[in-house]
This record gives sequence, structure tokens and C-alpha cells, in this order.
Amino acid sequence: MSLLEIQNLTMRFGGLTAVNAVNIGIPEDKIVSLIGPNGAGKTTVFNAVTGIYDPAAGHIRFNEREVRRPFTKTTAAALAFVALVSAIGFAFAANIEPLWQTAITAHYRYLQPFAWTEAIMAVFAYFGDEFGLRFVVPSAIGALLGGGGAFIVWQRSRRAPEVAARAGIARTFQNIRLFSQMTVLDNVLLGMDTQLRSGFRHAALRLPSFWREQMEATRKALEILRFVGLEQEVNQLAENLAYGHQRRLEIARGLAMQPKLLLLDEPAAGMNPAEVSSLMQLIRKIRERGVTVFLIEHHMQVVMGISDHIAVLDHGEKIAEGTSTEVRRDPKVIEAYLGKSHEDVAPT
Amino acid sequence: MKARWQFHWLFLVIVAVVPLAELVLPQGWRIAALLRPIFIMAMLGLGLNILTGFTGILNLGVAAFMAVGAYSYAILTCDIYPFQLGFWSATGLTILVGLTVGLLLGLPTIRLRGDYLAIVTLGFGEIVQDVLKNIDTITKGTQGINPLPAPTFFGYAFRSEVYWPWYYLFLGCLALVVLLNRNLRRSRLGRAWISIREDELAAACMGVNTMQRKLVAFALGAAQCSLAGALWASFLGSTGEPGNYDFQVSIMALCIVIVGGMGNVAGVLLGALVVAGFNSIVLEDLTSFLKAHELISSSNVLTVPGNWKYMLFGLALILMMRFKPEGLLPSRQLKAELHPHEPRNPPSL
Amino acid sequence: MSAWEVFVQQLIIGLSNGMIIALIALGYTMVYGIIELINFAHGDLFTLGCFCALTLVGALGLEHAASVIGLLAVVPLFCGGLNWLVERLAYRHLRDATKLAPLVSAIGVSFVFMNIALLWGGVPMEVFGMGKAAAAPKDFPVLVSNDNLLGESPVQFTAKDAMVAGVTLPLMIALTWFVKRTRTGKAMRAVAQDRVAAQLMGVNVDRVIGQTFLVGGALAGVASVVFAVYNNSIYFQMGYRAGMDAFTAAVLGGIGNLPGAVLGGLCIGLARAMSDQYLATRWTNVMVFAILILVLVFRPSGLLGGKLREKV
Repeated sequence: MSLLEIQNLTMRFGGLTAVNAVNIGIPEDKIVSLIGPNGAGKTTVFNAVTGIYDPAAGHIRFNEREVRRPFTKTTAAALAFVALVSAIGFAFAANIEPLWQTAITAHYRYLQPFAWTEAIMAVFAYFGDEFGLRFVVPSAIGALLGGGGAFIVWQRSRRAPEVAARAGIARTFQNIRLFSQMTVLDNVLLGMDTQLRSGFRHAALRLPSFWREQMEATRKALEILRFVGLEQEVNQLAENLAYGHQRRLEIARGLAMQPKLLLLDEPAAGMNPAEVSSLMQLIRKIRERGVTVFLIEHHMQVVMGISDHIAVLDHGEKIAEGTSTEVRRDPKVIEAYLGKSHEDVAPT
Repeated sequence: MKARWQFHWLFLVIVAVVPLAELVLPQGWRIAALLRPIFIMAMLGLGLNILTGFTGILNLGVAAFMAVGAYSYAILTCDIYPFQLGFWSATGLTILVGLTVGLLLGLPTIRLRGDYLAIVTLGFGEIVQDVLKNIDTITKGTQGINPLPAPTFFGYAFRSEVYWPWYYLFLGCLALVVLLNRNLRRSRLGRAWISIREDELAAACMGVNTMQRKLVAFALGAAQCSLAGALWASFLGSTGEPGNYDFQVSIMALCIVIVGGMGNVAGVLLGALVVAGFNSIVLEDLTSFLKAHELISSSNVLTVPGNWKYMLFGLALILMMRFKPEGLLPSRQLKAELHPHEPRNPPSL
Repeated sequence: MSAWEVFVQQLIIGLSNGMIIALIALGYTMVYGIIELINFAHGDLFTLGCFCALTLVGALGLEHAASVIGLLAVVPLFCGGLNWLVERLAYRHLRDATKLAPLVSAIGVSFVFMNIALLWGGVPMEVFGMGKAAAAPKDFPVLVSNDNLLGESPVQFTAKDAMVAGVTLPLMIALTWFVKRTRTGKAMRAVAQDRVAAQLMGVNVDRVIGQTFLVGGALAGVASVVFAVYNNSIYFQMGYRAGMDAFTAAVLGGIGNLPGAVLGGLCIGLARAMSDQYLATRWTNVMVFAILILVLVFRPSGLLGGKLREKV
């Protein structure tokens, strides 16, 4: 039973097919690597899994379910509500001046008490007189525009990145995308956003529950920072960190989401050998924590050293799959990396 | 992190004391009464700051929210209509109206890119003006809704000749708004807003509900601007005409946020002092001075200081973007974001 | 006039105004296509073009219809040059900054232009009312007559309408040829599609962007001459309305898409005419805004635009 099932995934950009009918299964509590030459479509696969792009064809199932916002009864009720409010709003807006005149101007005498009940009766009479044109037509337009617009917006957001994130998929980026002007701590706290509950009134009024949650969240954030080894840099601005530490911070931010699956996009890029081995140790510790890891990497030491399973992509197609030994010997893989004329040279 | 002096509290304290100082100062130094419009503009700027400074949504039509606030307040209090609520309940309802209008603008536009959104807000600013002019049976067109009753505070009715009750009323509201914004900034909501400004896609990938957060920003920003409008209408005793809430006001609010410092409350207050202060005090004094010395002639358009307002606002924006985009009092966060090619400064701890 | 004749009349008015909007929308869309910046100042550039045209008419005492050709030679150069200058001074260094900075600068430029138009209105020339009321609308003298080319027909297709079509249609054909066939045009399209790749192919990106602003500005200049001659009235805040209409047209057609801008312009012109006639003039601006919102919600890529994607 796979935690993540990528079935027949196809991605197209303009005329280019970046990913072509790719099938990958990620079993739970394992470390799976996705390798391949540059431009093979690896990050595109990640983007499809995390909801940034819509697949042209194929399915992505996480925990046996498609990664999309489900069309629940609540959603249907909300859309119906929006349509209703738009209908009434349009009906009133289209008639606002004559309504005001019949209800208010006609019944209000300067400094006399206002006859509220008569005003309301007048409103009903106004609509009753010419029900069709005055009420039904603007209501219908309003319901269509409001309900239709809301539905389209909702439909387009079904595969938004936050849906994947809420489902339990976290990720890091190939070009580090930290919130560079926020502190290290704030970055991790932001990662925790889905786990927090305090809202507007707690923050505005500084209720006790706000302070409690803040302390608890900070405690958890510090624990995560200790886990990745960044506890010394808590109040540093993220952009002032050393490069290797920035990559760790991205991982910490992802872990703060309490994910079941962590996607790492070239976490070892630009690291020296010492950093690479501590990174490998960190990834193993992450797996021990119960988080499945799916990573893209070019650094073969990392790939061969920690992967339980490897999939190889070239020009958008999966050309090989298996354990590190199997993949290392596969002639198609060697050819993809080194070209046809090199036969027995294994990738290092 | 506390090394930076809390400019906003200092500002509020000093400003609270100014009327007392006036008891001993000579006539020419009495600017306290002139500070009132600055407080209103500061509230407008803070409302814009939630949208543009925190969340990164450029809104070019905040005057529309101010107009909605002014007219809602007027309809609810003026005795030509049956509602005739008191100052406090009318202001409360006006804030609710502001929240709703903010949501109305936000709903169709949250998915838009920054520059499209900016133009839509610009258009919205004009549309609200047009609508207010058109439904003149309710809004009395260019006449405006008047007269509006003065606020009462425990039985004491404000009068236009006595300036300091207004002064403290505006200051009190401003202090509350400052407190609210500051609290929101240092909270889960504020973090989410700033992450949206910095990198919306990454924020979404972290699970932040970007659409909902942006809607909240719209609603709160609009509510604050509506409050400013309600207070202004109450002070003037009239809404004035819809043309008063045009994009000159919106752009002045933008100047306040840009010149002072985007994304931090203290910066906006400084910006209000500088920009609105320049507009209300310096330009007025200059005009009176030139008139007294008969240097203004109606046939020479160049001599009327008011005719240079647009140019000054425009140049302020261009020059600030060129040389100091983070503002005069920068939020530490924004400074390096806008100078991508300069070496990083060590953080001040 | 029968109902049908009223409709046809509005059709003519709508298309004429639509062509003017299309010209301004083309300038918007060209600049957006190449640097993804909405040039807020474009509408105010159009305003300055109108004032420039009026100055020439006043200074040279122009009266004849043929002088329109002269105006069409000078004003676009003025507007194009001004646009090029603004890009050089205010936008160039902001190209790689955050998205907010160039937007705010553009707003600043827009305001500076508007103020220049206000002060220009106070110039002590006869055409400007001897500078008495700088902010008031100015009359633009009649250069092309209002005579109905259809003779006694209740439907009016005037010499002015003919002028609009006569200027706009050949210009659009020329523009299409320019963008598709000339080297500069191809360079513009290349930079619009992929700036880095164009650079690698040896295109001088800075110069091409400058040229785009020049051409876009020139289009606004043509629009301003045509507008002034057609409507006989200009005022310093007209850029706002023109800019909003043109932006809506560009979005409706698909931003970055040249034929789309033309289609959008014609649609907006028609929508305005129909709204003026069948709804109420005072609600026309609201109508245009409603169209903008509807397009942005239901079909943000516009009628002719492709799918928009952010590359991650």
C-alpha cells in the first residue's frame, strides 16, 4: 500500500510534454529518490504532487484519495448561500432608488416617529406589483453571477497548493524560497500555521488563549530547530543564514507542518562533504520520526547512501526503477547520464 | 529586538500632550487644531497599510472606503432620515458596513495578480464615487448629506468652536487602531500576511489559506478606512460631495504609507505627519503667505501652490521608489527585500 | 428615427470610439507584453498628447482638415519620445525589483503627467482660454466637419467617423506588418516571450524595451489626435477614464495580445455606446467596470489570450 501513488502523470507546457505517463509509488516510512539528468521533469512531478500545476492527464493519490478539495455538502451549502445572497443583493441594488422612495421617503415626516411596519409593507407591495421585472430578473442575474463566479473560483482552487499541504504533504524548493526577512523562528512558526487555532479576536484582544498557544507553538518550533541543528540561530533573519543552514531551515519549516510526506527538492545542492553527511543523517532521522521522504537529488552519494528505492526520469519518462544496486547497473540510466559511448562506467 | 524605540507610542504620548502645551504657547505656534485631519489621514494610512504594507496588495482606491464610511454614518445619523442613531452606534454600524464593502471588493479580486488588482481597486474608487453621485435620492448628490449632529459624550455635545474634544476623540480612535494593528502584526494572522507579501506561493505550500487571509485584510483595511470617513463626516457635520473622496485622497494615503515606511505602524504615523502635515499645514500657510503678499494671481496658474499638489505627490512616489523604497522609517523586514543587490546588513539584536 | 436606425447609429458611434480605445489599449498591451508592467501613466500620456495637439493648433492657427496629417506626424513623436524618456528614467532600474516598486513609480509618473496637463491648461494662449481657468475643459477647434456623409439619412456617418477609420485601420495593418515582418518587431516579440533567451540570441534587451515604449507612446499620440479632433473637448483628468477603458479593453482581448487589444477596444466602445443609449449615461462607467470584473473572474486570460501560468 503506497502512501503516494503517481499514476500515468502527464504534464504539458505549451507544445512541450514535460512529463509523460509517469508511474511512481511511494511506500510509507521509506526514503525514495527521484533522479535523472537536468530537465528530465523531476521538479515538475513535485509541482504536480503539491498542487501547483494541474496534470494534463493521470492521477495523484495520497492515502488512497485524490489530492483535491472534496465537494462536500458544506461546499454546496456555501455556494448556494452565495447565490442566494447575490440574488437578493442584486434585486435590491437594481431597485434601490425607487425602493428608498416608497419605503422611507414616502413614510418619513421630519421629526415624527417613523412608521416601520408600513415601510416594510410598502417594500413587499413594491415588489409584488411587478414581480417579474423588478425582482426575478435581477435576482436571476445575481444568482448566476454570484453562484457561478463562486463555483468557478472554487473549481479552479481545487488543486491549490494549500490542499496538498493540509492533506499532509510538505516540501522544500530547488531555489530556496524562505521568507527571507522573517526570523528563523518566524519561518518555522509560519510552517506551523495549519496546526494553530488562534484567530482574529484572540490576536486583537490578546486573550489568554493567544498567549498560551504562542508559548506552546514557540516551544514546538524550538524543538524542531533543535532537531535540525539550528537552535543557535533562532532570532537571525533567514536571509542572513549560511547557505547550508538555509536549506535546513526550509526542512524545519516543512517539518513544522507535521507532514506524513516530505518532498525535498535537491536538499544537498551546494553543500560541502561534511554538510552532506549530516544532511544524510538528518533525513534518516526524519524517516525515524515517521515521515516518508521523497527526494530529488543529483548528489549520488546521498542518493545511493540513504534511498530505499530509486526512480529514474529522463526526458519526462521513467526509464528505470529499483534499489540503488539495480539502478546503478542499469544501462539505460548510464546512457541517460553519460551518453551512449560509455559502457561500464557507473555514475559516481 | 526591543532596541528600536517604539516610535508609535512616543508619537501618541507627545501628541496627547500638545493641547496642554498650547495653553502657554503664543498664537502662531498653535497647530493642535490642525493636527486633527492628520489623525484622520493616519487612520486611512493604517487601513491601507494592512493591505499594502502587511499583505502586499496595492490598493489605489481607499478613498472609496472612506466615502462609504462617511455616507453610511451620515445616513444613519442625519435627521432627514428616520434612523437617527447616536454617534457611537452609528460608528459601530459603519465599521460593519466597511467590513462588508471590503469583502465585496475582495471576493472577485483575490485571485488576481498584483498589478491587475491595483487597477481594479483604482476603478473601484471611481465607481463608488459614480454610484454615490447617481443614487442622489439617497445620497443627495453633490450637495452631500447634512447637517449631521455632533457626537455626545456622557451628555456633553461636541461643538465646532471647541477643538480639543474632537482632538482627543480622534486621538483616542487612532490609538485604538494603532494598538489593533500592532497586535495583529505580531500574531499568527500578521505572520501569514507577511508571508503572503514575501512569497505567496511558498506560503500556500505551507498550508496558509491565502485567499481567506487576503479577504480578512480587505475587510479590516476597509473597516479602518470607513471609520476614518465616519469621523471625518462627523467632524465636518456633512459628508461633502462624492467628488471629495477621489483618487487624490487615495494617492495621499499611498504616499503616507510609502514615504513613512510600508508594513510598520510607526512608519505610517511618521508618513502621516510628513505628507498630510505638508498638505494641511505647509501648503495652507504657503498659500496664505503668497496671498498676503499678492504673489498669487488667478491668471498665472503656476503661482497657486494647490496646483502643484499632484506633481509633488507623484515626485514623492517616484523619488522614494528610486532612493528609499523602504520608507523614512523602514520596517527592518522590508529594507533588504527592496535592495536585492546590496550587501546584507547584520541584524540589530 | 426608428429603433433599428437608433441601433445602427450607436453601432457607428461605438465603433468610432472603440477604435480610439483600441489605439490606447494597444500601447498598454505592448508594454505589458514585454515587461509585465501596467503603465499607469499611459492614459495621462494620452492626455498630454491632446494638449500638445491643441497647442500646435493654437500656435499655428490650424483650421483645415488636412492639418490633421501634420498633427499625426508631430504628436506621436512627442508622446513616443516622452514615453521612451520615462522608461529610461523611472522604470529601467526597477526592472528586477519587487513587483510593487515599478507599479508605484508608474503611479507617480501618472500624477506628474496629470499635473503637467493641469499647468499646461493655464498657458496664456487663446486656445487655452488665455490661461484663466487652468483646470477647466478646453475646446478643441473643429478641424474635420460633422457633415453627414450619408446625405439626408437619419443615421449619421460623419466625416469625423471616416477620419477615425481612415487613420486607425491603415495604422493597425502597418502595426501588424511591423510586429510580424521587421527585425525590431520580431525582437520585441522575442523579448516578450523570453527575455533571457532573446539576450542569448544577441538582442539588445534595453534598446528593444525602449523601442517598445516608443511605439506604444506613439500609438497613444495617434489616439490623442484622433480623440481631440473627434470629440472637440479635452481636460486634464481625461487620462483616467481613457486609461481604465483601454485597460479593460486590453484585458478583455487578452493582455499581451495585439489583435486582442483591438477586439477589446471595439467591444468596449460598443458597450459604452449601447449603455449610453439603452441604460443611462451615468451608469456607463459602472458598466465598464462590471465588464472588467466579469472578465477577470470568468475568463482572466481574455477572449484571445492563452493560459497563464507561473513557472516555479
